[in-house]
Amino acid sequence: MKEYFKFFRWVLLVIGILSVILLGINGLHNIMSKARYYERTNTECKTTQRVFDYADVLTDKEEQKLETLIAKREKQTCCDIVLVTLNESLKEYAREIEPGVSYDQFVRVFAEQFYEENNFGYNKANGDGVILVDNWYREDDGRIYTWFCTTGIVKDTYDDVSIDHILDRVYRDIESNPYLAYKTYVNDFYDDMMGSRFYDADVSKGLPFVIGVIAAVIFIVMNWKSRSGKDTTTAVTYVTGKRANFSNSKDLFLRKTVTKRHIETSSGSGGGGHSGGGGGGGSHGGGGHSR
Amino acid sequence: MIFKCKNCGGNAVYEPGRKRMYCPHCESLDSEDIVPDSSITQCVNCGAPINIGEYTSASKCAHCGSYIVFNERVEGVYEPHLILPFKINKDAAVEALNTEFKKRTFTPSGFLSEKSLEGMQGIYVPFWMYDYQAQYDFEGTATRVRTWTSGNTEYTETSYYDVERHMKAGFDKVPVDASLAMEDGEMDLMEPYTYEELEGFNPKYMSGFFGEVYNQSAPELEGRAKEKVRDASDKLMSQSLSGYSSVTPKSKQLNLERDGINYTLLPVWMYLYQYRGKTYRFHVNGQTGKVIGKTPVSKAKVLAYGLSAFVYVSAIVSLAIEILEVL
Repeated sequence: MKEYFKFFRWVLLVIGILSVILLGINGLHNIMSKARYYERTNTECKTTQRVFDYADVLTDKEEQKLETLIAKREKQTCCDIVLVTLNESLKEYAREIEPGVSYDQFVRVFAEQFYEENNFGYNKANGDGVILVDNWYREDDGRIYTWFCTTGIVKDTYDDVSIDHILDRVYRDIESNPYLAYKTYVNDFYDDMMGSRFYDADVSKGLPFVIGVIAAVIFIVMNWKSRSGKDTTTAVTYVTGKRANFSNSKDLFLRKTVTKRHIETSSGSGGGGHSGGGGGGGSHGGGGHSR
Repeated sequence: MIFKCKNCGGNAVYEPGRKRMYCPHCESLDSEDIVPDSSITQCVNCGAPINIGEYTSASKCAHCGSYIVFNERVEGVYEPHLILPFKINKDAAVEALNTEFKKRTFTPSGFLSEKSLEGMQGIYVPFWMYDYQAQYDFEGTATRVRTWTSGNTEYTETSYYDVERHMKAGFDKVPVDASLAMEDGEMDLMEPYTYEELEGFNPKYMSGFFGEVYNQSAPELEGRAKEKVRDASDKLMSQSLSGYSSVTPKSKQLNLERDGINYTLLPVWMYLYQYRGKTYRFHVNGQTGKVIGKTPVSKAKVLAYGLSAFVYVSAIVSLAIEILEVL
């Protein structure tokens, strides 16, 4: 046993150090979360409902589960979290409010109006919060549009890249399992607001297992047969004075090339952000995707 | 020849611990007299017939136990230029072996206690040592690559260079073993020896040990020496180009000019162990104590440790991901 622990001492030490770091960060995180937490102060909100499944893509049970999850996440993030599903053209509605608005912006107009009309916002009417509007209706241009509308501190937290990212993740399951997609929206929003999703957890889900298997296979292959010993000579072992002499070395610069590569951040089509004031005096940010 | 103690007539041998000639019978130091032999088939001490191998230069009489250095195998064309006397004795070699066995984690635990010593010899192994002056001219194209990200764009800047290197290096005493009985790879792994302790040949250092004359001539083995010099030169050249991301050679020319050759005897302890019906052979560098040889491997132990490696590496990656997620 002593030999075993001696052999793995550095590995165990690394595990210990990482565990301590994780515990420390989690502790600090909890303290900071508690310090940031406060009771909802918006008294003007017209509804306690957060899930508006007008498209009827969710079962009653799923709606209830999402309502429960949102209630919990709202307290943790101090933000209102709203979900609206639709299955109707927003063309007339949006162009009545904003004449000439493009197809991809219909859901944006609706989202901002809906948020403002209901006085959503955790701290005040049209205050801190987010609304996801997913319109299942295929507009005249043949596309289905989704908008992620941010207000207050949420607007400050999300940039175009992070909006693209959360919508990408929502779109991953939207057709096969809308409930899972909307649950991802709520949970990822929580992660983003709590600053706890630097890394894409889904990508890394199987990573420890895979790397562990690779490491074990390499380890076993390397140790399956005994080796005679190590080569302890170096390039200069037999070189006089232990160094070679280099004379007339030349390093002549010829030319330089620069290539550019666009980093893909979105798998959906469309997207992009929007900042600006809504009709009710609120200030929103956000972005959309289409499918 | 045999080295006889002036005081008691016993066989004086070279004792590495004392670095002196020593008579194990009366414990006298440096009391040896040389008695030359006239035959390689008869013991110069007791007259018993002896049967030595084609290349044997020093052996032990099976009848009287005297160590004999055969004159005709250490004189004339067989006279070594240099010899590196044994520095560690039998006990130190055994200690080095046991330390090495303990270090080898996957050696079955029973190997240390169950193995039995089948044979042990201190041997002077013949080596050819080659000196070279190397001149290496290199021309090629090299690149340096720098990558950075701005917004959603990744930029890669590649700078191209014409590079030239002219290297000169002296290679001193590149060793190649000249014994057919010794496996080349194992002898290469015995290196390096510390050459400061090389001495002009003196047969007294062979008393108490076994020895061989060279089995192959210097020209026959020079290819191996040149290969070693080529490898070392390539490494040195690569080191001089280490600042580049990639190097593509246009031309490279290595010229080796041989400066000299030394026929040298180097000390090696050879141990044979029996373990569960199989013989295991180990070599210990007679100067540095470096151990070379394959020990048996406990497959069960390797698999158990491999499983542990899987668990620990998975845990480390999981923890790292957790930390990244929380940050």
